[in-house]
Amino acid sequence: MRKILLSLLVLAVPAAAAAQSAEDIAGARIGYYRLLGHEMSLLAAMAKGDVEYNAEKAAAAAKDLQTLTQYSVSDLFAPGTSNAELPGKTRALPVIWEDMAGLGDKGAAYVSAVEELNGVAGNGLDALRPAVGKLGGTCKSCHDDFRAKDF
Amino acid sequence: MSMVSETGRGRAIPQPSIAAEGVPVWDPVVRVLHWALVIAFAAAWGLGKFGPDQMTLHFWAGYAVAAIVVIRVIWGFVGSQTARFTSFVKGPRKVFGYAREMTSRRPSKTLGHNPMGALFIVGVLIVLAMQILSGLLADPEDYINVGPLAQYVSSDVARQALALHEPLSTLLLAMVAVHILSIVFYRLYKKEDLVTPMFTGRKKID
Repeated sequence: MRKILLSLLVLAVPAAAAAQSAEDIAGARIGYYRLLGHEMSLLAAMAKGDVEYNAEKAAAAAKDLQTLTQYSVSDLFAPGTSNAELPGKTRALPVIWEDMAGLGDKGAAYVSAVEELNGVAGNGLDALRPAVGKLGGTCKSCHDDFRAKDF
Repeated sequence: MSMVSETGRGRAIPQPSIAAEGVPVWDPVVRVLHWALVIAFAAAWGLGKFGPDQMTLHFWAGYAVAAIVVIRVIWGFVGSQTARFTSFVKGPRKVFGYAREMTSRRPSKTLGHNPMGALFIVGVLIVLAMQILSGLLADPEDYINVGPLAQYVSSDVARQALALHEPLSTLLLAMVAVHILSIVFYRLYKKEDLVTPMFTGRKKID
């Protein structure tokens, strides 16, 4: 009996190690938002005139953002991965897990701004700029409520 | 309309306008900057807290505050007597001496900033400068409300600036409250009107 229990324990250890730690999940979450930022930074640079507007590149970046909205983020917001549990590793505030509906509303606003952007991104700089502004506004609005300013 | 009127004694004396009553205390630059700061700070604070997510107007209000602070500091070296730092910034002995007289129920009769008020002026200019700098450096990672200087510093610094910007806004609001409460205290307790001179530039000395 004891042998069986011990061997189960030995088997269980690698299994636990293979599962994602809270820190891994937070890291993946940060990675997901980095991808959004990567696309958004090009669009914002075009909107501000730092990078010359290019209809194809703008449309491609908008399309990538749209593709990323298909990604299911719910597992990135696993419990136990807030900045209270992982200080210095994430800025996700515990209030996220108290107000998932609120976070969902912010996400919905973001998705609709991405859709709007996709409708206009290839139609010239004048069409791009307000859509990028609106999209950035949805980033800010969620950061204000759900993300700590610093680690 | 003549500036001269007849008095009961039949003698013509210069009739000062309201603005000319009392002795000069605040020059026009100080007064304009003061009230411009009231407007610009209120706008920046309100837009920061309650304004739209696209913060362009907040940025402009912040630039206005920055311009006001820069001009006021320059004026603190080259302006009129009461505007100059060297005329109103005092050492601890003068500050404590003035603090002891604070509770006496009579006007201070100070022309310009009193030694304690001077501390406040320097303090508020420093905190405003910190707030301006933190705003210029802050990166909220929304790609549209990024401080114009954030691109020249590391992301760590840009994040620390962002983290400072909101607490500093609360500190500034508290300083505004202290400022207004002091003025109310002077008016009610010490019977000294500090508001009118900031409009007219002149202070009535009994």
